[in-house]
Amino acid sequence: MTDLLDSMLDLMRRLPPTNVDANVSALVQICPDYADDLLGSVDQPLRLLTDRATGKEYLACDYNRDGECYRSPWSNEYDPPLEDGTTPSPKLRKLEIAANEAFDTYREMYFEGGVSSVFLWDLDDGGFAGVVLMKKVLTPSSPTEPSGSWDSIHVFEASERGRTAHYKLTSTIMLQLVTRRSGNGSGNEKGKEADGDGRSSESEVNLSGSMTRQIEQDAPLSDATAHIANTGRLVEEQEIKMRNLLQDVYFGKTRDVVGALRSMEDLERAKRQRDLQRELVGLMRK
Amino acid sequence: MNAEDRIAAASNFLLQSPPGEINDVLNDVRDIIQNDDALQSGILPALKEYNLAQFTTVDVPGCDHQVIVSEAGRIKSLDGGEDRFFDPRSKSTFVFDHLRLEASDPQPHEVDMDAESYRSSLESSTLAYLAAHFEEGVASVFSTPDSTKRYIIQVVANKYNPQNFWSGRWRSEYIVDLGENKVEGKVLVNVHYYEQGNVQLSTTHTVSFTLPPSIAQLQPAQATPKILALIEAEEAQYQASLNDAYHEMGEKTYKNLRRALPITKQKIDWDKVLGYKLGAELTASKGVFGGS
Repeated sequence: MTDLLDSMLDLMRRLPPTNVDANVSALVQICPDYADDLLGSVDQPLRLLTDRATGKEYLACDYNRDGECYRSPWSNEYDPPLEDGTTPSPKLRKLEIAANEAFDTYREMYFEGGVSSVFLWDLDDGGFAGVVLMKKVLTPSSPTEPSGSWDSIHVFEASERGRTAHYKLTSTIMLQLVTRRSGNGSGNEKGKEADGDGRSSESEVNLSGSMTRQIEQDAPLSDATAHIANTGRLVEEQEIKMRNLLQDVYFGKTRDVVGALRSMEDLERAKRQRDLQRELVGLMRK
Repeated sequence: MNAEDRIAAASNFLLQSPPGEINDVLNDVRDIIQNDDALQSGILPALKEYNLAQFTTVDVPGCDHQVIVSEAGRIKSLDGGEDRFFDPRSKSTFVFDHLRLEASDPQPHEVDMDAESYRSSLESSTLAYLAAHFEEGVASVFSTPDSTKRYIIQVVANKYNPQNFWSGRWRSEYIVDLGENKVEGKVLVNVHYYEQGNVQLSTTHTVSFTLPPSIAQLQPAQATPKILALIEAEEAQYQASLNDAYHEMGEKTYKNLRRALPITKQKIDWDKVLGYKLGAELTASKGVFGGS
């Protein structure tokens, strides 16, 4: 049973992150029995919806879904309307409202645009859990301007232990960067005049990725609002770490592999130079 | 989902395989579909499509070189039987097993001698270029049917490193048209890095340029090194522009999506963000949940 889910997860780790939506939905159709397990383990890009009551945009994912309806964090209403849809207890809803305000500030300071949403839910053992969502899309104003998208999904569980709280956070970031270029004339990418060699070119670079990390931490809990500050610091810390990791390690690695596939320098010439040097060293030793 | 749709979905998964990972994808697909008999025959068209498009290489039977298995070398069967593939270097054809990636049943193949001297000269120049820039590359040069003016140069380089969770493939193809004095090319690069994540680079680059008229006057041995020098310059420029794109994505696009730090250059002061009024209101009811 678990083997099949493992195979599905291995498959998702190999296929292009840009196709995750279509591939997950194909897997769900092949194995409907695994739909919940799969949707619970594979993160997909967040959908953007508009709150009918407030006109504000919010994010839709598995955590604010009830059947076919999605709950807005701003009005607490389901769309399409759902009379007995699941909502947090009144006390937790208060915290949810405050968390949405706080993370909206966070979003503005780091993303300078985009949309954020926070959803909280009560747990049976008395604690609560939540998800912090961020999405930003860069829409190019011209075909040669870069486009891209960022989705982050931070799922956490909080349990109170007297004056401290324990947090378990699972963070996923999904990213896509696309650069397009077209050129006429040799070596003169932006020039409009072709310089007689009739050269023209079109290029597209698509860099995409997803990664997930987990962290557990204790933090002091002076009052209820401390949950927001505590999860805020945790999410901030983790997002900074993962952003750097994606840029330095992941993107850097793909660039290095390109260099390993095709060498910029002439391998034969470099080899001849090495041989010559060795010969010279040999001569000098004599 | 009916059996036919399941095979179609499986085929679609296979066609998305990153470089060198088709067997891993196939193993996953076998677990998921759980019908090896239906898969075996059903996915054959997808494997064939994948192999041809990805410039799969194979040892030529009885030779110590490899050839690219692609559309350019495919010889369609006239009687509806299996296609054969052509290796221009050894002037032989073979049957290709798209699942095991093996060649068999080599047979000599007659070639158009008018095109052959130019083709073989283009091949030597291409192999020299290959040795200069690709540590582990394979190149094949094909002439085209009924033409002494049109040649196809194909290059593929693969690096697979599953122990360190990465793989990459560089493909280039150039159609040299001596009649039109023109070269049309495309370069495709795919890289997968999947250590605790899934990051993929996928690039496409198409280019066309005209050949200097003087090249057409030259003998093959003088002309083909010049053509390859132009291709070398083109690929060098492309690789440099790829590095520029990385730089731009890292410095600009990435920052436009999410800053490394807020404009204040400091992390957020969460206590300030929460505000005192809000805090006071929530503290009034001690615990957030439970019966307090």
